[in-house]
Amino acid sequence: MSEPTPAKPTDAAAPEPDRRSALLWITGGVGAAAAAAVGVPVVGFLAGAVRARPVDWVPIGKLSDAGLFPPNETRLHVFRNPIHEEWDGDSAKTGAYIRYLGKDASGQEQFWVFSMICAHLGCPVTWFPQSALFMCPCHGGVYYENGDRASGPPPRGLYKMPWRITDGVLEVQAPHLPTLQDTLEKPSEFVQLGVIKRDRSEQA
Amino acid sequence: MKRILKAVATSVGGWFEARLRLKPAVMPILEHPIPAGAAGPKGWWYVFGSASMTLLFLQIATGIGLALVYVPSADQAYQSLEYLNYRQPFGWFLRSLHYWSGSGMVVMVVIHMTQVFLHGAYKYPRELTWIFGVLLLLLTLGMAFTGQVLRWDADAYWGVGVGASMAGRVPVAGPGIVELLIGGPTIGASTLSRFFALHVFIIPGLLITLVGGHLWLVLSRGISEPPVPGEPVDPKTYDAKYHEELKKGKPFLGDAMTKDAFFSALVVLVVVTLAAVIGPKGPGGLPDPTLTAANPRPDWPFLWLFGLLSLSPAGLETFVMLAFPVVLVICLLLVPFVSNRGERAPSRRPVAVLIVLVGGTTLAVLTYEGMTSPWSPKMGAWSGDTIPTAIVKRATPLELQGAAAFQNKDCRNCHALDGVGGRRGPDLSTVGTRLTRDQLIDQINNGTPGGGNMPAYGKHVRPAEMDAMVAFLMSLRPPGQPPAKVALVPAPTAAP
Amino acid sequence: MTTQVLNRIPAFLIAFTLLASGCNPPGKPTPPQTSGRPEAVTDFNVLYAAHCAGCHGTDGTLGPAPPLNDPLFLKIVPDTELVRVVTEGRAGTSMAAFDQKKGGPLTTAQVKVLAEGLKTKWGKPGGPTDVPGYLLTPGGNVEDGAMMFAMACASCHGDKGQGGKSGELRVGAINDPAFLALSSNQVLRRFIITGRPDLGMPNFTEKTNRPHNFSTLTAKDVADLTSLLNSWRSPATK
Repeated sequence: MSEPTPAKPTDAAAPEPDRRSALLWITGGVGAAAAAAVGVPVVGFLAGAVRARPVDWVPIGKLSDAGLFPPNETRLHVFRNPIHEEWDGDSAKTGAYIRYLGKDASGQEQFWVFSMICAHLGCPVTWFPQSALFMCPCHGGVYYENGDRASGPPPRGLYKMPWRITDGVLEVQAPHLPTLQDTLEKPSEFVQLGVIKRDRSEQA
Repeated sequence: MKRILKAVATSVGGWFEARLRLKPAVMPILEHPIPAGAAGPKGWWYVFGSASMTLLFLQIATGIGLALVYVPSADQAYQSLEYLNYRQPFGWFLRSLHYWSGSGMVVMVVIHMTQVFLHGAYKYPRELTWIFGVLLLLLTLGMAFTGQVLRWDADAYWGVGVGASMAGRVPVAGPGIVELLIGGPTIGASTLSRFFALHVFIIPGLLITLVGGHLWLVLSRGISEPPVPGEPVDPKTYDAKYHEELKKGKPFLGDAMTKDAFFSALVVLVVVTLAAVIGPKGPGGLPDPTLTAANPRPDWPFLWLFGLLSLSPAGLETFVMLAFPVVLVICLLLVPFVSNRGERAPSRRPVAVLIVLVGGTTLAVLTYEGMTSPWSPKMGAWSGDTIPTAIVKRATPLELQGAAAFQNKDCRNCHALDGVGGRRGPDLSTVGTRLTRDQLIDQINNGTPGGGNMPAYGKHVRPAEMDAMVAFLMSLRPPGQPPAKVALVPAPTAAP
Repeated sequence: MTTQVLNRIPAFLIAFTLLASGCNPPGKPTPPQTSGRPEAVTDFNVLYAAHCAGCHGTDGTLGPAPPLNDPLFLKIVPDTELVRVVTEGRAGTSMAAFDQKKGGPLTTAQVKVLAEGLKTKWGKPGGPTDVPGYLLTPGGNVEDGAMMFAMACASCHGDKGQGGKSGELRVGAINDPAFLALSSNQVLRRFIITGRPDLGMPNFTEKTNRPHNFSTLTAKDVADLTSLLNSWRSPATK
């Protein structure tokens, strides 16, 4: 293509073939540059939804608070998810089913911390203390108190939420929307490859 | 008076026409000949497409109206819907009309498609018209789903959650698709903005473009003549035959257009009546994901999918979610290639009729199942659904304690008595005639074998509760019926 | 064609003005009474229907659990006891805790609405006087209780509480260990005092199906009878 096109009989008024093909080439180049200049930011913008997630911890409460974590009783704790925008409203609220299990053999405090999100298709499960079951209103998934699947369509147990104790305060890791390949304990590496690193400080 | 009006109209119209020169462009379109059959009584079969388009225009008009007031922000969308419902003059009516007209559009598109399928109108040379139509059906359903999300209530929130969870099952790329869909790691503000853009810009843009293409194809290849048994389509001869047919044709502007206009007006009146009498849908429960009383249900165009997902066996579930819709769409797209010639009359195409009957029945049954959703536990039944008083009146003290324990252990959430209660498990009104004491204890303790429908209660039922509950369940028999007995013939045992 | 449309304009205008002016079509929504948050529900009837009717019956009678629509019971039960039991339930029985602090579904304010609403809705002035107190009292003599049982209860419940007949009605056993294990002494005492009017069991003073020489149960009789029933429990649950 870079070779000049074979000469054709032309009118005297028409531009010379060399100049014409040069203009085409330049237009192509300028056009490509313009497309790239617009395209790269736009694609980056659209892909911005998929981004590396900051690891953030939410304080739930002091272990010493009477009645907050009654031993061997599962309670729903509601908190605002730090992964949110200013204009999220109530949709930034999320919850964890937490049960204090006492100290294990090595003297460590132990908890069960489960997401409210059903492992089947993401509806909210409800805890029934008398039968010690979690039930999902959508397709009838049921889980035992330890989060194991009891019956219905869920392919696994409830999603466990990472937790830790800092200075006597139970903290839960801020949850993304858990799905089968992107659990709270083992987030998807595919998503961790996110193109834009979002800093916690940027958000605050 | 009339004469003056007419003179003014003619001269004003003439002034514009002298500059716009619309007549030479528009009149041939309006007056293009259509097959005589399609202008006659059989032309009533041809009104569904234009009715769909009329409703699309109504959707655009009401949608623009709503967009003037609606706030697509997660923290204020709900309030703006309440404002529309209760304070903005005619706000409720516009919301209602938008919902019912949208529902009507789904109905009309499906009827239109069924008619085209039954009459074989997709055959040569109208394959591409059919393909555009299939894409328009998908876009219409896309509008229905994204519209449901804009009604930012509990159903909308969890509807997105279900959609995202389904997308999350796509191998490898699932989590990335989820984040693209909901606009970040959680459902919230960016999700709503995203669905607003989809519902208001992206899908309508595509929809209008494809409607334009669909209409161009209708005009350029002409509408199909009413099918006649014994006159099969042959791509080699069809064009010439159709050309001959048009020579005896009638202009579109005339009876055919009047039928379209009449039916469209009728459909609009029905939609307006529904809107005025039944009113707008929602907004329902608050979009607060920590309110566990939520009982998420999709809008009616997706109830069949809700039913399908609940009824499909666990092993097939991911296939049903991900591959099945794709297969379905591919099948629809392939229709005009699988049969692009041959008979068009339904009376000569039993397979086509059968497909419509089976498909329609399946959709209707799945929608009904989705509506009644017997697989969902009834979360408030344990404390809200009473034990039938006839049972209480005849119960012993132990059976009364058993009935109380039955409620307390949430059994009622899945098991009805006299038809009241959950329907996930069997109604237990006569369980005493079916299961013996030992079988009842085994069922409660261990649940359904192999991790089936009923959880195992073993650890959470104390011996006294078990005794009382079993006594209660054994007493659930019609008067005079003996309790269940173990079969006298022992079950065959495996040879040692 | 044009004139036809023109002629119809008045009809359209009328329809439009009707729609615009106060004529409310059935589809027009009315603002909800509450905010839509479950904790905003403070109507006794709504809360009762959702959280109590399942065991205590639609109108507070003829449920498997003790009737709450029972003026005699409401006359003697202390307010604090009602609030306490709705809040934390009754351990060992099928009465669940309803306050969120105890893992239940209701707020403290809603528990109060329920506990206080019972007396407003179903309490009645009048009725028998000198009613023995509701709450359990210490003491109580099993032997005296047995004598009183033979007098006041055995005609329907059988001499050992094994059950019997009251007219046409079958009366089940109350000495059943499972029944007793699920019944607190408090509820047994309550039934001795209030009976179960909805199921035909007489209260502490009614003579229905009782011998002619039956006289109203005293506070001591009630305590003795409660002790007797307690003595029938299997050793593990006493």
